[in-house]
Amino acid sequence: MKKINYILTALLGLSMQFAFAQTPKGSVLIKNATVLTVTNGTLENTDVLVQDGLIKRIAPDISAPKGVETIDATGKYVMPGIIDAHSHVALDVVNEATNPIVAEVRMKDVVNPYEIGIYRALAGGVTISHAMHGSANVIGGQNATLKHRWGSTDPADIIMQDAPRTIKFALGENPTRVHGRGNGIQPRSRMGVEAILRNGFSEALQYKKAWESFEATKNEKGSTAVAPQYNERLQTLVDILDGKIIIHCHSYRADEIYMLINVARDFGIKKLVFQHTNEGFKVAPEIAEYTMGASVFADWWAYKFEVYYSTAFNAAILQKNGALTSINSDSAELIRHLYHEAGKTQRYGGLTDDEALAMITINPAKQLGIDDKVGSLEEGKQADIAIFEGHPLSTYAVPQMTFVDGVKYFDITKDKDDQRQRISATETVEPIYLGHENHRCMQDTEHLFETANALFHTQH
Amino acid sequence: MKRTLLKASVLAMMLGGLLGWSQAYGQSDPSGKKPVTSTYAITNATVFANASSSGSKATVLIKDGVIKAIGSNISLPAEAQQIKGDSLFIYPGFIDGASRAGITRPEDPKRPDNFVSSNPPDEIAGITPWRNALDQFSIQSSQVDELRKAGFTLAQILPEGGMIAGKSAIVVLGDENSTNLLKENTGLAASLQGSRGMYPGTAVGVMAKFRDVYKNTELTQDRIAKFTSSTGVSRPEMNATYLGMSDVVDGKVPVIFTVGNDLEVRRAISLQQELGFKLVLTGLEEYDAVIDLIKSTRTPVLIKLEVPDDKAIKAQKEEVSEDVKAQYERVKEAYDRAIAQAGKLEKAGVPFAFTTLGVKVSEVSKAMTNMMEAGLSKEAALAALTTNAAAILGIERIAGTLDNGKMANMVISTGPIFEEDSQIKHVIVDGKIYDYEVSKKKNGKDKGEAVDPSGNWNYTSETPAGSSGGNFTIEKSEGDFSGEITYDDPQGGGETSSSLQDIEVSGNKLSFRFGVNAGGMALDVKVSGDINGDTMNGNMVIADFGSFTITANRTPSQIAKK
Amino acid sequence: MKRLNQTFLIFLMAMMPLFAMAQIDGEFIKPRSGKFLLQNATVHTITNGVMENASVLIEGGKILQVGTSVSADGAEVIDCKGMVIYPGMIDGGTTLGLVEVSSVAETVDYAEIGNVTPNMQALTTVNPNSEAIPVTRVSGVTTVMAVPQGGLFPGTAALINLVGYTPDQMYAGAKAVVMNFPNSGRRGRWDRRSDEEIKKETEKALKDANDLWQKAKTYHELKAKGAELEYYPEMEQLAKVISGELPLMVEVNAAKDIQNAIKWMEDKDVKFFFSGVSEGWRVADELAEAGISVITGPVQALPTRQSDRYDTPYANAGKMSKAGVKVAIRTNEAENVRNLPFHAAYAAAYGMGKEEAWKAVTINAAEILGVADQLGSIEEGKIANLIVATEDPFETRAQIMHVFINGYRIPLSNRHIRLYQEFLERSPDLKAN
Repeated sequence: MKKINYILTALLGLSMQFAFAQTPKGSVLIKNATVLTVTNGTLENTDVLVQDGLIKRIAPDISAPKGVETIDATGKYVMPGIIDAHSHVALDVVNEATNPIVAEVRMKDVVNPYEIGIYRALAGGVTISHAMHGSANVIGGQNATLKHRWGSTDPADIIMQDAPRTIKFALGENPTRVHGRGNGIQPRSRMGVEAILRNGFSEALQYKKAWESFEATKNEKGSTAVAPQYNERLQTLVDILDGKIIIHCHSYRADEIYMLINVARDFGIKKLVFQHTNEGFKVAPEIAEYTMGASVFADWWAYKFEVYYSTAFNAAILQKNGALTSINSDSAELIRHLYHEAGKTQRYGGLTDDEALAMITINPAKQLGIDDKVGSLEEGKQADIAIFEGHPLSTYAVPQMTFVDGVKYFDITKDKDDQRQRISATETVEPIYLGHENHRCMQDTEHLFETANALFHTQH
Repeated sequence: MKRTLLKASVLAMMLGGLLGWSQAYGQSDPSGKKPVTSTYAITNATVFANASSSGSKATVLIKDGVIKAIGSNISLPAEAQQIKGDSLFIYPGFIDGASRAGITRPEDPKRPDNFVSSNPPDEIAGITPWRNALDQFSIQSSQVDELRKAGFTLAQILPEGGMIAGKSAIVVLGDENSTNLLKENTGLAASLQGSRGMYPGTAVGVMAKFRDVYKNTELTQDRIAKFTSSTGVSRPEMNATYLGMSDVVDGKVPVIFTVGNDLEVRRAISLQQELGFKLVLTGLEEYDAVIDLIKSTRTPVLIKLEVPDDKAIKAQKEEVSEDVKAQYERVKEAYDRAIAQAGKLEKAGVPFAFTTLGVKVSEVSKAMTNMMEAGLSKEAALAALTTNAAAILGIERIAGTLDNGKMANMVISTGPIFEEDSQIKHVIVDGKIYDYEVSKKKNGKDKGEAVDPSGNWNYTSETPAGSSGGNFTIEKSEGDFSGEITYDDPQGGGETSSSLQDIEVSGNKLSFRFGVNAGGMALDVKVSGDINGDTMNGNMVIADFGSFTITANRTPSQIAKK
Repeated sequence: MKRLNQTFLIFLMAMMPLFAMAQIDGEFIKPRSGKFLLQNATVHTITNGVMENASVLIEGGKILQVGTSVSADGAEVIDCKGMVIYPGMIDGGTTLGLVEVSSVAETVDYAEIGNVTPNMQALTTVNPNSEAIPVTRVSGVTTVMAVPQGGLFPGTAALINLVGYTPDQMYAGAKAVVMNFPNSGRRGRWDRRSDEEIKKETEKALKDANDLWQKAKTYHELKAKGAELEYYPEMEQLAKVISGELPLMVEVNAAKDIQNAIKWMEDKDVKFFFSGVSEGWRVADELAEAGISVITGPVQALPTRQSDRYDTPYANAGKMSKAGVKVAIRTNEAENVRNLPFHAAYAAAYGMGKEEAWKAVTINAAEILGVADQLGSIEEGKIANLIVATEDPFETRAQIMHVFINGYRIPLSNRHIRLYQEFLERSPDLKAN
């Protein structure tokens, strides 16, 4: 019976979570701030009351309930916790780069709550990050949406358990380099990438049918039906086809973006977000019409050939064409100042404050399927909040405090030296890292690049 | 099982005939090695019958590998050879919860012509649940003797291999002419270790693959059940992997998961919770954060019998700036936390045992002392080495304490065990007595004499490009060394080799260099390390790239050695 | 019928220009020189304070006049009312022009083979037509140091203005021989050398450097005595440092290495400055005491150590500046040198203050590189590198309205802008699918 349960849960696309502890929830009253709600405009001299992890009220002159700490935010700006829709922070492994499709792998399995990057992100007002599989494969692993509850030792505590499932796809240079040129198997070209996708989904349909016919006949009297082979890789693709998983696809060129839209149309897939999307601006109307939009860099370009024909106006063009657009980091460094990255949409395309702020709050929340819970300052939402000195879109802004579920995890006045959670007992001198590897999209694929030089190249 | 046993015993017989005394010679033994009797009495010693015993004077009588009597007033049969135990302390023999002493890594299977790294055959991908540690085990290995010298009399041996390495077995660390097998198929050794350059390559792939193998084993069993109970059912495909996994799926044997830190502990436990198999964790080094989890899930744990080296602590200087001082403090805290873990586990009421996997056996005693200084009680320490281990291994009926009828496995020391100046003088395994030299001074390491590095070594090294490995051979002729090393060709296309240069040995340090051609770029690789018995631990420095750890094991070549 | 013909005729006439441009559509705007008066702006001179309602007159590539009553005198007048004028920003360390697409090896020209290649000239390989150049200059960065990368002495860096058809037209009058000071830090997470190994390697590298230095000295001395020596281009170039012709640009980052470098430079009577200096804040007083100037950055960077506070790279420039070190800021970037103003803004916000941060991307850089008589501030007689913006150009919301480099009025166009113009509203649009 137990056995059947497992298979059933797998078929239903549920991942069994064993009991995890209640995560901490806090209460706080933030007074007299300029409140940037993102969805309801800017409210001057306003208070935000948080109770038990939720935003209870947003109004002027709220008096503190008994026992609730009050923070005077006069002259300061309060905004929703920033959401990074593309990150690899807090992952022990980024790429299982050994197969063009590894839909079965789960990044939740390798979340590392000790990573200092979490705290550094909090110090930039970021409360949620989308910890993604890397871009080595056409279909990568299932990602984890993290809440930055710094200090916990249990990965389950920093995983946002109520976020929907998402999965990483990747088109273009990375999968063709890893598999085609690295391993001598398809895909070696963007044609091959499409073929891998169509083959995978077609096989998944057959897999689904095989199981359905087994389930339908197994209890018939005298049935000789036996269960098909279990295959979580195909099962995950079935879950995508059934709309249970949001695709987040690493992509650069317009043609490949358009290709995936066509594949998605053909297979009836609706939940699709493009990542990086440097040439998204060329097919902005298509992205706007058919997908959940694009999550882009503010200004990265020219680090590889497929991003040579980019524009920093990408986000603005996408936005003005009606595509849901967010700005992400894909970097342990950029994640520390996403508010500034969002600000660049004002230089490159003149977006309004609300439009720019939406790109790092409610828009990524929508793309991660968590906009009913976070992404704006609204009563009833989870109290993920960042407080800034200076308007967050100003380059002179300095984040002051960051809350997740009403619990303060970063306070600039209490930022002690040495925030590391885990120290080696055998370390004589702390290592100094001068050559930073901020960008980990291609981490764990190094072994696929045989020549020494490849180790030093940027591979976003 | 039968075949395995047969193979092992034939091997033992052959070696026995060659190297030692043997039943094959019948009653006579021209080598003079055959013992006169198999009955012994250690008289008037201080006996600690179990971990919590406070010790009392008694005589221990053993016959044919079994404890016959323990007491102060027992009559000794005429054939009993007496050993004066007045100044000696007797403890139950130690049990190594998981060990690779005497295990040789099997040759990597040849890759088929149609090999694709994205879908490799199970055997190449490190999925070999059918393999058996006994096939890889040699009692002749110097590692076995080293372990025995440290007081271990029984060990659960794990096979070498990848994510699912194969079946473990419990052996006594005894006679060279015996198979020494106590219990076979005691568990299935697994780890989160990926395969080099193929699927699954990383921990995240391994976990997914583990689920896949497990669930398909269940389904295969269902199909077999249906096939055997009714007609008209297609023949189920039974492959070695699913058959090898079935004892785990049936709950007959545990998965013995090698994990290092708390995150890996959580990963193994989450797989266990999700799939429902029996689990034993081994190799735990950093587990401070998961003591509650271990307790609440009642997971049996085999703690790595090692403490972090204190070089870093000792290297801390006095005159430093405030921020450096603060950092020193944190390293010290980490060290203190590490050595206090075992004591915390005891306080939490978790009955743990030890493993020597990846441990320097010569430093076991120091590790025990450190753990006890940091809060582990002597009783719990002894229990971990004896009764707890016996319970986790399911052999408490025959091992773990000194009682009438139990196996004659014991440690005999010159003083209370683990105390300074106390040394192990005899180890009795399965009724056979092994004598060890007791030196006047403790820890008298002889640094002067150089070790002999010659032999065949297989090595693995952790590089940024993942783990890599190969073999190197060192030959000695007229005091000079020469050798060759194989490694993965950086330009692709399998293995290639270079000759070794500047081979130098001083004390137990070995060093050499070799050149590698990487895409037209000549790389100079320097290897240096400490040889300890048949293992070498050290560093591999690749010019301009950095230094990577390397470990090597000498392939036992019995004929050359003994 | 007649009316119809007439309409048709009008229609045809309206179409005429289109026919004329059947092959070439649109007009290419080039940088153009001339006499310009930038009128009625707030002028931030950097060296002489802020002047309200002031104007700047430029001609022949130079700033002719700055003041509140400057007459046009035939100049093309550009109304800058409500706007700010700053000197063009100088990035003290980049690979701009030396690389086009960093992952395409064929386009990477900033590193040569060999450990001692001071004779490699960055200026030679600057690509005046790099797509990144027009992308950079519209942000207000008008001048950059193009720096070779690699071994101990990887080459000679050159300061370039971001306008011109040849490297020589772009050359802005400063060069420096680059030295990568032996570094004891780790190169990344995969660098697992032991502390001893690093120490040994560092010591060896330092010894090599000493030997080379001694050789260069000998070479210079013998040459000075008129000796005819064998062709030795590496020494020829290093000797220019010994003789004082060129400064030495010492790239050094870890605190300990900075201390070593300070010591190493003590007895060397040459012109030099430090670059990188990412752990400068740890030894700021020592740098100040030794009187060493630095070009530091990137500011938007990760801390060098896990235990460091998250803001140490942001605060680094300010801490050194407060200790009395002359600080310039660099991005160490190629295609995103345009972010220099934002790096400077972060330094400003985390302790440096706006005024010092502005100096760090203008006059300080010019002084350190020895071109302060030409660049780095709005002063009469200096080269006309100027930017006009709607507000403080450090702010992302600021729009850069005009850029002048070498007196040329720079078209505010580049690939990024052209793609915006082309794709903001597509034609045919989606419905034509």
